[in-house]
Amino acid sequence: MKKTISLDKNHEKSLIKQLIAGEPQAFEMVVSQYHNIMLTVARAIVGEAFADEVVQDAWISAIKALPKFEGRSSLKTWLLNIVSNGAKTRVRRENRQISLDDGWQIEPDDHFDQRGHRLDDVHKWEQDTPEALLANDQLQTIIESTFQQLPALQRAALTMYDMEGIKMEEMCNILDISASNARVLLHRARTALQQSIEKYQGN
Amino acid sequence: MFQCKDVAEEASNYIDGELPLGKRIGLLLHLVVCSCCRNYLQQLRSTISTIALLHPKEKDDTDTLALAKVLLKASKKQ
Repeated sequence: MKKTISLDKNHEKSLIKQLIAGEPQAFEMVVSQYHNIMLTVARAIVGEAFADEVVQDAWISAIKALPKFEGRSSLKTWLLNIVSNGAKTRVRRENRQISLDDGWQIEPDDHFDQRGHRLDDVHKWEQDTPEALLANDQLQTIIESTFQQLPALQRAALTMYDMEGIKMEEMCNILDISASNARVLLHRARTALQQSIEKYQGN
Repeated sequence: MFQCKDVAEEASNYIDGELPLGKRIGLLLHLVVCSCCRNYLQQLRSTISTIALLHPKEKDDTDTLALAKVLLKASKKQ
């Protein structure tokens, strides 16, 4: 199940007209809709310390460039590319001063024996539909907090691919990573969440 | 032969339809004989659907309404 939060083309065109016309509600709408994911991308590329600034600069650039927006990509992708370019420039400028929790660290592999067999049985979850899992407030909090503790690049991959329905190629361009790296990040993020749910179910 | 560990490593690629045919067959043959890995894959699928539905957000203290106002002003200066 992919949840894609994007506006249809016509809706987007009229939204852009409203933005160019300076309608306050249109500004409120785009900022509330896209600021969070722009921040996700900025944090993944440039790190926590510079992300807010990079996103604000990206907004200003985007608003200025809006009359030139041709609709070849969605507004969301266009905005994310602007953030990505700004973040990459910032990385180059700051050079060694940026420290990223890059999400590549190898996790201990303690679930398997030397021959690659599982050490513990994996059972079916009694409730495994999203609706049933999320009906449990405690579990929902656990999932949210696990998500927020993921390294920024893993959060970005998970958000873009599994929540926003952004295509793999587009995501790799925006995050400036290879497809094989993106797949590793995505799998680590999903596994971390699966394990946090499994741990809760096992208690 | 695919082992449980291989399934755990390739699970996302399998779910996303990115596993080459040879590996896919290896994985499917392993699933036939391993209920743990069948359950694990189902758990991972449920996790992905759950995340998509919940759509957890990045921590963010931005006052988006205030930002929208600033951007509106900036656009009028052009």
